[in-house]
Amino acid sequence: MLRYVASRLPSALVVLVVASILIFGLLRLVPGDPATTLAGPDASPEALAAIRSALGLDRPVWEQYLHWLGSLFTGDLGRSYLIGGSIADLVLGGLLNTVVLATAAVLLAVVIALVVGVGAVLTRSRWVDALVTGANTVALALPTFVSGVLLVLVFAVALPILPSGGVPPLGFAARPDITAQYLVLPAICLGLPVAGSITRFLVESLRTELAQPYVLTARALGVPRRRIVLFQALPAALPSMLTALGIQVGSVLGGAVLVEAIFTWPGLGSLVEQGISRRDYPVVQVLLLLSVAVFVLVQLLTDVAHAALDPRIRIGGSV
Amino acid sequence: MSANVLTIRDLRVSFPGIAAVAGVDLAVRRGEVVALVGESGSGKTMIARSVLGLLPESATATGSVELAGTEVVGAGEAELDALRGSRAAMVFQEPQTALNPVRTVGWQLAEALRAHGVRSRRAARERAAELLELVGIPEPRRRLRYYPHQLSGGQKQRVVIALALSGEPDLLLADEPTTALDVTVQAQILALLADLRDRLGVAVLLVTHNMGVVAELADRVVVLHHGRIVERRAVSELFARPATDYTRDLLASVPRLAEGGVPAPRREDTGEAVLELAEVSVVYPGKRGRPALRAVHGVSLAVRPGEVVGLVGESGSGKTTVGRAAVGLVPVSAGRVRLGGRDLAALSRAELRAARRGLAMVHQDPAAALDPRFTVGESIAEPLLIHGAAVGTRVADLLTAVRLPAAYADRRPGELSGGQRQRVALARALALAPRLVIADEPTSALDVSVQADVLDLFDELRRELGFGCLFISHDLGVVDRVADRVAVLRDGELLELGSPGEVFTAPRHDYTRALLEAVPRVPVRV
Amino acid sequence: MTAVQDPPVAVPVAAPDVRDDVGVGVPRGRWFAALLRGRGLVGTVFVGVVVLAGLLAPVLAPYSPLQQIPGANLLPPDAAHWLGTDEVNRDVLSRVLYGTRVDLLVLVTAVPLGAVTGSLVGLLSSLSTASDVVAQRVFDILLAFPVLILGIALAAVAGPGLTTVILVIALAEIPIYGRLLRGAALRVREMPYVEAATVVGAGRWWVLRRHVLPNAIEPVGVQVTVSLAVAVFVEGAMSFIGIGIRPPDPSLGSIIADSVTALDANPGLALGPLAVVTALVLGFLLMAQALAAGRRT
Repeated sequence: MLRYVASRLPSALVVLVVASILIFGLLRLVPGDPATTLAGPDASPEALAAIRSALGLDRPVWEQYLHWLGSLFTGDLGRSYLIGGSIADLVLGGLLNTVVLATAAVLLAVVIALVVGVGAVLTRSRWVDALVTGANTVALALPTFVSGVLLVLVFAVALPILPSGGVPPLGFAARPDITAQYLVLPAICLGLPVAGSITRFLVESLRTELAQPYVLTARALGVPRRRIVLFQALPAALPSMLTALGIQVGSVLGGAVLVEAIFTWPGLGSLVEQGISRRDYPVVQVLLLLSVAVFVLVQLLTDVAHAALDPRIRIGGSV
Repeated sequence: MSANVLTIRDLRVSFPGIAAVAGVDLAVRRGEVVALVGESGSGKTMIARSVLGLLPESATATGSVELAGTEVVGAGEAELDALRGSRAAMVFQEPQTALNPVRTVGWQLAEALRAHGVRSRRAARERAAELLELVGIPEPRRRLRYYPHQLSGGQKQRVVIALALSGEPDLLLADEPTTALDVTVQAQILALLADLRDRLGVAVLLVTHNMGVVAELADRVVVLHHGRIVERRAVSELFARPATDYTRDLLASVPRLAEGGVPAPRREDTGEAVLELAEVSVVYPGKRGRPALRAVHGVSLAVRPGEVVGLVGESGSGKTTVGRAAVGLVPVSAGRVRLGGRDLAALSRAELRAARRGLAMVHQDPAAALDPRFTVGESIAEPLLIHGAAVGTRVADLLTAVRLPAAYADRRPGELSGGQRQRVALARALALAPRLVIADEPTSALDVSVQADVLDLFDELRRELGFGCLFISHDLGVVDRVADRVAVLRDGELLELGSPGEVFTAPRHDYTRALLEAVPRVPVRV
Repeated sequence: MTAVQDPPVAVPVAAPDVRDDVGVGVPRGRWFAALLRGRGLVGTVFVGVVVLAGLLAPVLAPYSPLQQIPGANLLPPDAAHWLGTDEVNRDVLSRVLYGTRVDLLVLVTAVPLGAVTGSLVGLLSSLSTASDVVAQRVFDILLAFPVLILGIALAAVAGPGLTTVILVIALAEIPIYGRLLRGAALRVREMPYVEAATVVGAGRWWVLRRHVLPNAIEPVGVQVTVSLAVAVFVEGAMSFIGIGIRPPDPSLGSIIADSVTALDANPGLALGPLAVVTALVLGFLLMAQALAAGRRT
């Protein structure tokens, strides 16, 4: 098992390293003088000189890269020249909001997938099945920015029962009911495509499992169908769902940018948007690296979890 | 009718457009073994499935199936669940897939026991260990914690039987229980089933196409053909005096080992060896932490022009690897492979390509032997096109040679039966008049009666065209029939090499003896 | 337990594994027959209507998309302006029609570009182990960037605009097709009929050309419809956050972005482009599902 994990690490590391090089190179690829790019066209010559020495722009490129990488590891994420303040502060400020939103979205998606997926398989009615498939397709098809705007239209404008944006004013913990009101629309918006995807995956996995010979064995022994679905098919189908979830994290990362824009949710997504519109490269670089790192890490974790759940890999020793 | 464990009356099972079972009457008495024999498509599996109401969704069943006094046809799920496992239980064909791979053996036994009313965990564990012991698994308590992949094929099948016995059924429905197992393991499982019948008085409905298994185990035989019963007799009578032509054909087509006497040599040895393997070893490198696999070790043999050398062994013996190494599909780690005297490894790419004109391969699986996108004619013509030879009437000629109508050239593989596809594969192999053909289990996936036809054809063509052949098979009877010489492989090593008479009547190794012993014997007709 | 299967059509999509029946199943009839029945028909109709609207935009649009009509600020839908007007007095219907047109342009350039490039790389890299390993790593790196993040990165370098959008979509598609074709190549190469051909002397090119390619086309067909849906999403998302098609040129995403603040004044501003985007994405996904189901039977 440990060997399996170890075999996965090198490629993940390679990907991370190359990605970091590419992201680092972004600034250098922009036409023009990097210092001007960072500070903006109206910066004073002293400010430009300060930037040059701070970044060591006179040193060879690979040294700059290593310097940048090194400072990231020590927690010095650099300064934002155009938005203002230390990047570390900016990131920490938005981190909690985005994490809360993303977690809510993912949890929502998993719960929906489990309930709807298992329900769809247990039911014998073709009517329910068609309904679920239809709803699923719609959930998959609606792009985040479409569903977001629609949700706001319906629930905040047409029937104003939920706020159209913003974070709970008293923080997340103080008044859970108010938090829920603020969180529900953005979480649905972000989580819906994920829910659609993994529900579909789970249902297909379950159906495939139920077509396996060992299910016939269980049925031939008189084990009731519900038990087979819940205790044999579901545990066997979960690892695939987990892997699909890992892949969907990419959608969550990208979707966060969109959702936070629609619902004016001050998290990392809106920070990235600010960074793009103001051409604040250091901020964008750090956030890009963060998202790639998170994505790669999540893939690795789901891979490991998948392996841990499969006794053939975990224990090995096939005869 | 309490003497009958199972009574079937006028059972009909049909799928949209196909009648799988067309009116069958059958009864199984307590403690007897009834064999349900027929080729694929005869309906025998459907009959077994219908006993427990396990027919596929698209099937409709009419008639009466009475199991322990309860009518199965039309019964509800709950009623059926009560019957399943406790009145009758099934043993399936493929032990590799019959068990849930992510649950321990003990868990699966406990689930089965739970379905039969044993709810306490401790009682379930006790009973599970007892069951494992009953089916002959050593260290039963330890094995409870094992996962299926940690057991051998034979052990997995024993677990499947243990599961079937967990509800103490009166009837076992065994659907080809030994077909997927190696010959030596087959014998053990058959012995187990016989033992259980004697000790527990359990009746068995044995579904099989293997007449050898029938001869060993069954009391009565019922022969099925296209969903109808053709003949039913006591076992000894059936073998001695089959009543119908169909049964006679079925019995006659089982390849049997010649008993006693050395058969006449079939061909003169002339010229240089077409294929020569000298101390060949093939090692598959390990990856991702798995150790390297030594598939073939120091094997030396030769195939002379026009000679058929049979390569026998069980799965994992390396016989397939030898075949692939012989034509350069797999690189050898040691030793030399010589084709027509020339060392394979020393050939340039162009030389190798030219040398391959004289080679051909026929595979086991007719489903994947032909590109589904090619017509039959295109498949057969492919070797010609690869070497830029003119096609002309060659395709039609080849089709005729394999006894298929020339019009088949426009058909696609999906429209042909398994046996027909193998003939096309044979035609393709012969397109360039090869000097060496590697036949890797070419008839193993075919039904017994079709096997005989294809083997006949193969023999005839070989006599006519004079190609040498490396004939790989696990079926000793088939090899006995076609081969001039036989090589026995075990774990990648060559144990025996000689004429079939020598090897099969006077083997030098114990292993070969065990292999021969394990072949279920069909009594020869008086 | 089964290995990871084809992820069902998902947006944004990850590379689906090649189905197990590549190179084995018998081709049944014309594959596009599936598009003329049931789900497939619904999808085709959705897409067809939108495509027609986009192509005929110059004919159908009552105004120029850039024209500012004096006094018509954020008007709700009425007879003169079926979808109302936007915050700088432009007719929304015209903008939506022309935005659709631009979308079609993106679809027609980006998706084939990515598909062909990715397929070629996937097929050719499968010929040797070295190139295979390198190609796989490159794919991994491309796939490590979620599509929108990739868009952000590229826009940071190359600036926003139509070409950036096309480039992002193509880059995101390349590893998907690469993996798909590589998987197909590997599966087909293990088939007995390929072995039989190799034994008789067929070279790698022969196998690639005559066996792999024809058998790999079908899964590519399904993937193309999925890619089209993804492309619509990406263009919309990028324009939505301002790194796509530059204003004042109309694009569905930027119109939706503008509509967020004006939802109570003119809901038509949002509903128009939303309907088009939804119809396109849903339509393509339905087509993909129909094609995939058609292969299974």
